[in-house]
Amino acid sequence: MCTGMINVKYIFQETFSSLRKNAILAVAAIAVVAVSLGILGLVVLGWDVFSNMIKNTERKVGEIDVYLYDVTSEQERVAIDAFIRGIPEVDPTRVVYKSKSQALEEFKQQHPENPELWEYIETNPLPASFEVMTKDPKDVGLVSSKIKNEAPYRERIESVKTASQAIEKLESVFEKFRYIGIIFVVILSIISMLLVSITIQVAIFARRREIGIMKLVGATNWFIRWPFLTEGVLEGLAGSIIAILVVVLTKVWIWDQLAETLSFLKLGFTPWLIPVLVPLIAVAGVVIGSIGSLVALRRFLEV
Amino acid sequence: MIRLRRVTKVYKGNIYALEDVTLDIEKGEFAFLVGPSGSGKSTFVKLLIKEEEPTSGQIYIADTNINELRKWKIPYLRRKIGTVFQDYKLIPHKTVFQNVAFALEVTGKSRHVIDQQVPEVLKLVGLGHKLDAFPDELSGGEQQRVSIARAFINRPPILLADEPTGNVDPSLALGIVKLLEKINSAGTTVIMATHDKEIVNTFRKRVIALENGRVIRDQDRGVYGYD
Repeated sequence: MCTGMINVKYIFQETFSSLRKNAILAVAAIAVVAVSLGILGLVVLGWDVFSNMIKNTERKVGEIDVYLYDVTSEQERVAIDAFIRGIPEVDPTRVVYKSKSQALEEFKQQHPENPELWEYIETNPLPASFEVMTKDPKDVGLVSSKIKNEAPYRERIESVKTASQAIEKLESVFEKFRYIGIIFVVILSIISMLLVSITIQVAIFARRREIGIMKLVGATNWFIRWPFLTEGVLEGLAGSIIAILVVVLTKVWIWDQLAETLSFLKLGFTPWLIPVLVPLIAVAGVVIGSIGSLVALRRFLEV
Repeated sequence: MIRLRRVTKVYKGNIYALEDVTLDIEKGEFAFLVGPSGSGKSTFVKLLIKEEEPTSGQIYIADTNINELRKWKIPYLRRKIGTVFQDYKLIPHKTVFQNVAFALEVTGKSRHVIDQQVPEVLKLVGLGHKLDAFPDELSGGEQQRVSIARAFINRPPILLADEPTGNVDPSLALGIVKLLEKINSAGTTVIMATHDKEIVNTFRKRVIALENGRVIRDQDRGVYGYD
């Protein structure tokens, strides 16, 4: 059977001659594929850096702040203090009580450059608090819920704050950025598919006479389709190679350098990320290219 | 070889291109399909290569009912039927050799076979010395010979020629038909649609005359017959 006998040399000759004739559109399609896949890569890379940073930070912070209402009596305070120190996961040597006036002093020290912040207020708005350290940072959640739910006079406790709550907030903000990034990538991928599809439509149109002759001399449908399909796939692949270069160079030249100089930020990379991301982008490029050209072939090549 | 049974083709707008046509063309025959323009000659050709579907009736080619032919098999039908058209349908940026080789490439023939057969066929049509010329460097008659070479290179059992002399200088038209006769004498069934009275009257082959889509006359060793 001749359907299976695909002349690879013929297909690539036809593909490249078509790409040459169609150069401007092909370049535009490649560029858009590159941009959308590049953004995909950078979003994934950025997300990885950020989530590693959060993990590293979480592991090192075991601090809980317990804020008290002003109406708390001395007797109640002592009871709460005793309860906290009695929690087995808490390091009793690192439980510090900070009164309202101590809190104000600390605040003044932290903001010496703008004294107007406290000069004009008559009463002290800052609450008294306990600073509690857990023995193991991973127990922060457990300890804070024990304080919230089991402490005596817990109606006197205004709030229990942990560093991970701040981090969680940050994470949720970042999650939103990630969704925006994904939506952006999806939209751009659809646009790049359409653009590949348009270049293939133009290529089909430019060769409609030849296609007619091919049908006349008995060319099979796939014989006619292959060069157009490879054209689309090559455009997708070319775009993905550019995207891969951008992602790898960004990692090596920018983020690796940044991680070194700003080591206190604890920038980290998942080691397998690049080996997974590179083939993923290449596959995405091929998929975009082939879907784009198949759409064009379905619509504009009745064979 | 070719059998039509009550074939009718109606185009949009209730235009009858062919109406109730029944005829047989035997293996190795040479038949002229004659009639004024619009009489249904081109539709006849299009139906045989399944470029159009009949509205009703059956068409058999080599005992195969082509109405029932699956879509993916159409290319294989077309490899059995060489086609030649008035406008040659050559690819302008390919040389004479490449244009003819194209028909073999499409069917997946090897380079070796192509390099051997293409010059042979071009020699047969009298263009053995113009392998590297481009179509626009050739006369109309020569271009039509290239087109015939391309149609014949797969050695099809049937060759359809739709007004092959239409764009060819009258002095060269005779040579084109002689070439078709030569191909016919090698066993290929040839059907030539034409409205060239002089040619039909010169060659005295079977004449199938169409008018308004109907066969009005079918005779062996016939003449053109229209005024």
